[in-house]
Amino acid sequence: MKNYLKLVNFEFNRIAILFSALLGITFVAQIVGVIVQSRSYLSMANEKIYDEMMSKAQFLEIFGQMSFLQIARSVWFMGPIAFCIAGVGFYIFLIWYRDWIGKNTFIYRLLMLPTTRLNIFYSKITNILIMTFGLVAFQLIIIPIEMLVMKVMVPNEFRRDMGVNEIVSSMPELGIIIPTSIVELILYYGAGMLVVSILFTAILMERSYRWKGIFAGLIYSAVAAVVLISPVFLHEFVLNGFFYPIELLILEIVMGLIVLALSVWLSGFLLKNKITV
Amino acid sequence: MIEVKAVEKKFGRKKILKGVSFTANKGEITCLIGINGVGKTTILNAIMALTPINKGQILIDGKRLDKTTFEKITFIPDVITMLPQMTIAEAMEFMNDFYTCWNQERATELLEFFRLNLSDRIASLSKGNTAKVNLLLGLALDVDYVLMDEPFSGIDMFSREEIANVFTSHLIENRGVIITTHEVGDIEHLIDKVVLLDDGIVTKEFSAEEARENEGKSVIDVMREVYKR
Repeated sequence: MKNYLKLVNFEFNRIAILFSALLGITFVAQIVGVIVQSRSYLSMANEKIYDEMMSKAQFLEIFGQMSFLQIARSVWFMGPIAFCIAGVGFYIFLIWYRDWIGKNTFIYRLLMLPTTRLNIFYSKITNILIMTFGLVAFQLIIIPIEMLVMKVMVPNEFRRDMGVNEIVSSMPELGIIIPTSIVELILYYGAGMLVVSILFTAILMERSYRWKGIFAGLIYSAVAAVVLISPVFLHEFVLNGFFYPIELLILEIVMGLIVLALSVWLSGFLLKNKITV
Repeated sequence: MIEVKAVEKKFGRKKILKGVSFTANKGEITCLIGINGVGKTTILNAIMALTPINKGQILIDGKRLDKTTFEKITFIPDVITMLPQMTIAEAMEFMNDFYTCWNQERATELLEFFRLNLSDRIASLSKGNTAKVNLLLGLALDVDYVLMDEPFSGIDMFSREEIANVFTSHLIENRGVIITTHEVGDIEHLIDKVVLLDDGIVTKEFSAEEARENEGKSVIDVMREVYKR
């Protein structure tokens, strides 16, 4: 356990720069987005009211008040989120391959540590989770700051203030990364971790068997996907809606746990017996 | 004792090791000698479970390698095992964090012996100094066995001398060492046992001292006999 925590800390220090860069990019892009969107709304209002002599009431009736949703739906807001998701996705591969490739032969040291090699797997997956939760938490912290910037820029009568909850529930795509209930949080992030564990296993297959491992990894990922969708498939196409939704959910969770356990076991086996530096 | 028993290893269809067997005792320096591609590094990697073997068995003090064995045996490969962006101090701290057998006193001694600076980044070091850092990180562990892969490869004469001096010092005393090298001349007088490898098998395993005393032959003489046959 102590070695696992030390490895988690060590791995986190290695991603600190990339992680800080993602946080910085998100903050700057979204703040710029708030300013750009607010100014664009205000300049439109100025144009309509002062140049086209439209009354405030008329303007508000036609164009409506500005809400944070306009910002949240813009590329300034969603762009950095997509960039962070891509960054984490890229990092799922980088977190392993950087220890092998080029002048980095740190994998020698990792595999020679006097601790179970599965701790390497656990520490890397924990870091992906920390990074993801860190980015989401940061997003939740900066939304109120962004709202404040909007409040400062857009006069009261031209804007409709919203809570973070209201924004998230109005945008389903945002609801996936910021779940509104604990059950959703466990399900969404559990599914995310499951996918990461399957990818890690596939990466370790490639690292153990090289070219043959790529095929083995692809086959393993496909089999895992089939196992995961099998309850839904049976429910829809074979059993004609036989299960209650809660039963289907439980079946999915069981399948997810089976695939997760298999991925962890396989990864442990590969790290112990098959890995090659 | 390290026992390598009938080890076979294939890379794709090519069989690199075709049943290699030898032993390396504690308190002795065993030198693995063979031309490039004969599988010397693969043997060391296999002993440390850094590559799987297809057949055979490797035992360290009668047991198969597990996580606790890494407190008993260390491997100094010919590549750096630490992150290039780390300073030497950070690399030492890392080792101290994870290994209970890390001997800080010896690490400091080695640091002075090799005249290395704690604040130097590994990435900025010359090949010779990188090899010295590798040696420092391996030899500062209080382990029974040390495996070294080509410690003299591509290193200048003075650094080679410094590294060779390690073998005559107390830093190696009482440990079992397996070393692979092309530069046999540098340590010929220090080697206890020689394992000659050719075409995936051990062609000759002999005591360097016995060859010197009984046959009046140096290690290089025996190598000439075996490889020029």
